[in-house]
Amino acid sequence: MAQYFGTAVEDIFNTMEERFLPEGTVDVDVTIGYNISGEGGGHWKVTIKEGTLKTEDMDGEVTDCTAVLNANAETFVGVTLGKIDAGEAFSSGSIKVDGDLTVLIAVLPKAFRPFKPVVKASSIVESVEERFRPEKAEGVDIKIGYDLSGDGGGQWTVVVKDQTCALKDVLDDDCTVVMRMEAQVFVDLNQGKLDGATAFTSGQVKIDGDIGAAGKSSSLFEKYVAEGAVEEQGEELISLKCVPSINQRYATGPLMGTWFNGLKEKKFYAAKCPECGRTLVPPREICAQCRVRCNELVEVGPDAMVTLIDVVYYASPDPLTGKIRETPYTALFMVLDGASRDESFAHDLNPRDIDRIKPGMKVRPVWSEKRTGSYKDLLYFEIAD
Amino acid sequence: MKRVAVCAVAQHKCDSNIWHKRFQGMLLDVLEDIQEQTGMHFSEKGGVRSIVSSSDDVFDARTISDNAVTDVLGAHYREEEKMAQEGLNGIGYAMSIILSGHDDVVYVAGHCKESQGESRNMCTNLSYDPFYGRAIGLDYTNVAALQARAYMEKSGLTEEQMAKVVVRARQWAAKNPYANATEQVELGDVMYSPMLCDPIRTMHAYPVSDGAVAFLLASEEKAHEYTDNPVWLTGFGSCMDSYFLGDRDLASNFALKNAAGRAYRMAGVKDAKKEINLVEVMDCYAYQQPMWIEGLGFCGDGEGAKFIDEEGPEKYNVNLSGGMLSGNPIMTGGLYRAAEAVIQLKGEAGAHQASDVSRAVAQSTTGGAGQFHTVVVLEK
Amino acid sequence: MGKRNRNVGIIGIGQTEYSSHKEHQNQVEMVNEGVRYALEDANITLDDIDCVLHGNMELFEMVHQPDMWHSLGSGAYGKDQLRITTGGTTGASLVCAADNLVASGMYDVVMAIGMEKLQEGHTTGGITNMADPLWFRHLQTGALTATTATMMMEEFGEERAKRAAMKYRIMMDKHACLNPRAHRRFGLEYDQTDDLMNTSPQLVGELRLIHMCSQSDGACVMIFASEEKAKEMCKNPVWIRDHITVHREETFNNFGIEMPEMTHHYAARKLFERNGIKNPVEYFDVFEMYDPSAWWGLDWAREFLLLKDDEHIKLLEDGEFDLDGKLPINPSGGVTASNPIGATAMLRPAEAAMQIRGDAGPQQIKKEVRHALASGFGGTLWSVLMMLEKDLDWQEV
Repeated sequence: MAQYFGTAVEDIFNTMEERFLPEGTVDVDVTIGYNISGEGGGHWKVTIKEGTLKTEDMDGEVTDCTAVLNANAETFVGVTLGKIDAGEAFSSGSIKVDGDLTVLIAVLPKAFRPFKPVVKASSIVESVEERFRPEKAEGVDIKIGYDLSGDGGGQWTVVVKDQTCALKDVLDDDCTVVMRMEAQVFVDLNQGKLDGATAFTSGQVKIDGDIGAAGKSSSLFEKYVAEGAVEEQGEELISLKCVPSINQRYATGPLMGTWFNGLKEKKFYAAKCPECGRTLVPPREICAQCRVRCNELVEVGPDAMVTLIDVVYYASPDPLTGKIRETPYTALFMVLDGASRDESFAHDLNPRDIDRIKPGMKVRPVWSEKRTGSYKDLLYFEIAD
Repeated sequence: MKRVAVCAVAQHKCDSNIWHKRFQGMLLDVLEDIQEQTGMHFSEKGGVRSIVSSSDDVFDARTISDNAVTDVLGAHYREEEKMAQEGLNGIGYAMSIILSGHDDVVYVAGHCKESQGESRNMCTNLSYDPFYGRAIGLDYTNVAALQARAYMEKSGLTEEQMAKVVVRARQWAAKNPYANATEQVELGDVMYSPMLCDPIRTMHAYPVSDGAVAFLLASEEKAHEYTDNPVWLTGFGSCMDSYFLGDRDLASNFALKNAAGRAYRMAGVKDAKKEINLVEVMDCYAYQQPMWIEGLGFCGDGEGAKFIDEEGPEKYNVNLSGGMLSGNPIMTGGLYRAAEAVIQLKGEAGAHQASDVSRAVAQSTTGGAGQFHTVVVLEK
Repeated sequence: MGKRNRNVGIIGIGQTEYSSHKEHQNQVEMVNEGVRYALEDANITLDDIDCVLHGNMELFEMVHQPDMWHSLGSGAYGKDQLRITTGGTTGASLVCAADNLVASGMYDVVMAIGMEKLQEGHTTGGITNMADPLWFRHLQTGALTATTATMMMEEFGEERAKRAAMKYRIMMDKHACLNPRAHRRFGLEYDQTDDLMNTSPQLVGELRLIHMCSQSDGACVMIFASEEKAKEMCKNPVWIRDHITVHREETFNNFGIEMPEMTHHYAARKLFERNGIKNPVEYFDVFEMYDPSAWWGLDWAREFLLLKDDEHIKLLEDGEFDLDGKLPINPSGGVTASNPIGATAMLRPAEAAMQIRGDAGPQQIKKEVRHALASGFGGTLWSVLMMLEKDLDWQEV
């Protein structure tokens, strides 16, 4: 199986179930397709529905999902392991997404624990020659035997002599010391997840022969670092996570106060400049152009004419709640009836009109049933037929 | 060196909770005030083209806080730069705009609405590094307490002397129409007010305040268009001290002495005691008044406490505005100091007007325990 | 504008590499890296600096008055220090401020530091917090809008406009690939135009992911000195000739039936008028523009260079904005390649000055660069425009 950064594409999908977080997906209902090209690639379909997960290995190109991700195997593994910057892969087009992009951004981090490459006992043992530190082996002449049982196990002998190191695929009879354990215990020990003394004391590790040699042997090799593992590489680098927030109490002042009270009555109030007659919507204390205070409020709208349309496919998450609006949605720039011609007002469009909206069209506001004098009173605008 | 004129100043009355106005409304008030005093206009020919603002993103809870106020600064289609420090630094920068020849008139305005956020200490805690300073809970109040203790140790400053500073501040504040805390108090009220952060008591600390200040600066040639009674801005200096408290001698006034030295040098002041007769210091906490006075050179090293007892504050007209202790917001603390100095030099201070003032110094500080200081010299 | 009190030269430039992740250093260390490079470049020490200028956005990293902490690495200890922030334009504002401070005679040598570590905060959230909390904040989506794309497609036809925007984007990537400090270097080729035009994910309307700027970490530091000092300390100072800043009100009222003059156009008109520049495309040898997206970059070339109709698109199509063209735009790769926001607008004059010195590196323009134009952008269409010169030989107008 082709590996990239020490990991096969399959590993990522095979571990999805154990990495799945049902509590993060209670109100989710999506299907995500993966078309991974290149050696070791394939097609997968992942269905996440109300706290459940289904992963299917597909025969051909996956289409018709909420979102379909297309990438080559190396990019996909690299991004999953954090070896390749996701944003850059995406921007440069080496990852392409059909359908709703926000699903990947919003759902995936909540649905799965990050993928950690599966470390095999054999990869640890097979790397001893690379990890060997000849400067520590002066005068050392030992044979260390490994007898690892269970899944991923095997037998090896590491011969250290004359400041060299050689690995053999068999367990020699004349080893200085032989260490016997489950392969998983060996992996955990090498990854620092299990303490050696504890493992020995509890009987998880059995040592035959010269126990002192076993103790010394660890200094002969560099620590094993799994390929693709990020955290292990710089233990002194810490990134501190916190969300500083300070409660605020914003004043509206009299003009914005009138604006919000107007919304309750389904009315838009604009401030009118006493010099140039310009209408400011929502009202401001001053006309920026004439530098004079605007005291007079006039009613404008409620209907408006559309001047420009923005269809938003990528909604940014709310920085405090992490919530993301449904996409696509449409933001309109419009001129309210009776407002000055250069004064545009921005708001959302009723999603039902997204395919029909054109500049120059007349729109009307749609109000919330229960209005309390907040931005929520105005739901959106819709085409006034 | 050419001189820069302060043509006019405008102060918004400070209050602990201006709930009925947006900060934009406060800035509009001071803009109109300056317009009325001077006829300031913003036309492309001969009007104001350069504006310096001062505010803070964390206190305003807005990224690019000056973007919220461009219109009420008169800065629409004009130059505007935001001083993201205490606003007195904006006066120094505005001075450079005129002296460089880049422009000949500059409108300067600062605002801060401390009441908007839940807690000032939460804001200033964010100025410490996230790993250590923030984690151990440093903010400008508790850091000031450490400095207060160090200064009490050095100068022998007592509870009673600190109380005296507060009582006097309230007396002067009562005569200043722009001050916030004007309620009169006695020594005992201060000395037995609840402990805020030992040795700083509640009444030693400046009250939560909202406010806005504006200045109109012009070149010497242009000033007469706006005023017959200019005040001259002749000196500016600032200085940064170390960040880690352990790296500093908290009672040394290192940064302030340097800042004052630079401002005095620019203004040609050789002996502050002889040549300056009005002092406005940004005393956020009572101990800071004698300590900053000392840093500005009005008494010897460690003699700030004695200065209080020997009626130094009256002799040098210290904080006739009532100072920070009578309530100005932190980001405009120095701007209010300079505004007071200007109206005193103009002879327009009304009930709290000092007699025979010819040269004044205004000081401000940014950062914890006076990590950074700014000093300006103003003259008649 | 009156007569300059004295001239100001750029004598040192230091830039960190720009990248999406800088976990290996904290903010202070990143600032310090930039400071060291600038001092090395100027061949001076901190003792020579009179005043330090600092700028970035507080709510991006959530540090209040970060210059206090950053003083550990900025070298501000014991010196005068000012902090100026104006959003995206911050870096340019710092350069303008340094120019004013030195020209005023108040300081002889000023060091300006623009920095941002966007990785440590939430950029789009930070930008969204710019909007008025009472009304506009819930309508905001960071700096994303397709209004320019829509208007350009209306004016020049969909196909031509989309093709031109993508050509601009790929040209920027080609420049970035030459620049060893640039953050994003994709290696795009012009034969990908059709593919990217149609398949790059849409953010808003025809503003696609590939068009948009990056989010980067990095610091840019520049050192400025008075004419006398600059000539004494530096063999090839670059001179600041003039600069203009144009801000506008915060409301989104610029998409009505009638549209106001764009701030960029206003800035260029005023600046060129007072400096007697009749034909900016002919006069300038390089233009470093703050181009937050390919659409904006292309559209704004028309505004800044006072071009009419489709002149800017023709110049692009004819290769005149390429490194060997009549007026190369963004040899650095521009903002789509590197965007540490508080520094981004300083990267522009920094690159322009290196182009004038002739030591910009692999992206150096081959012909002699004598006159450079650099712009900054921020806020609600705020603009800064500045002119740099190789020689002190311009005529006062």
